[in-house]
Amino acid sequence: MTNRLVNILLVEDDEVDVMNVKRAFSKNNIQNPLFVAGNGVEALEMLNTSIVPLPRIIILDINMPKMNGIEFLKVLRETEKLKNISVFVMTTSNEDSDKIEAYNLNVAGYILKPLSFEKFISSVATLKNFWQLCEM
Amino acid sequence: MICSNILLIDSDKIDVVSTKNAFSTLCIGAMLHFAESENEAWSLLQGDHKISPTPKIILIDINQNGSSGMELLHKIRNHPDLKSILVFVITKTNNEENKVAALNLNIAGYLRKPVENGSNIDFFSRLNDYWNIIEFASEKK
Repeated sequence: MTNRLVNILLVEDDEVDVMNVKRAFSKNNIQNPLFVAGNGVEALEMLNTSIVPLPRIIILDINMPKMNGIEFLKVLRETEKLKNISVFVMTTSNEDSDKIEAYNLNVAGYILKPLSFEKFISSVATLKNFWQLCEM
Repeated sequence: MICSNILLIDSDKIDVVSTKNAFSTLCIGAMLHFAESENEAWSLLQGDHKISPTPKIILIDINQNGSSGMELLHKIRNHPDLKSILVFVITKTNNEENKVAALNLNIAGYLRKPVENGSNIDFFSRLNDYWNIIEFASEKK
């Protein structure tokens, strides 16, 4: 999958976390174009106007201002042209309620952000290996 | 580490043995259940032989014409107690129509099954690594 370099959208409000994802992508030699939105509203705007072709993967934070991850997911799943995008939640929220809502909206996985950068790199490597099995 | 029940739906007995071997070789801690058909799978999910707790992961092998698997996927997605299950579709064939239909039902991955000897272990090893980084809600009491 990553060989075809599908676009990836990261929806994340924390600048440090955005930087960590970019660094982890670089360390794992993930060369897919990465687009970044700071919240759900911005992400929907980008999906509806500027990202061509549409991303096949969204990495989604939960706790964000304006429109949080769960609210964004609900809109995504109700929008015909966006509803089939694979969503991977990456968050610090360990709340069961968030996990239940996310899986009810059919995310492909719910990942807790590891505390150390080394573990974060390793999680992204695992994601990359999984993405390489997937046809999108 | 994934300790859930996993349900595999695959009509090919040789593939089932091969998957069983891969799980054993990789020491995957999940309890693997098997169904040969959609009906048998439904019985394990909702019928007389219901698996408890409900599997968190389902692997569906979809054949060339998609007749086996797609209907089950629809039923799972339309059932209130099953719709949130993580479903991975595994296939040996290149059928764009099946792929689009499965992705529209928000499966977690449309995976091409390896055909070369030995690559089955690598395939399930990567899948297992992925299962081990994802979180699930606590079991319902």
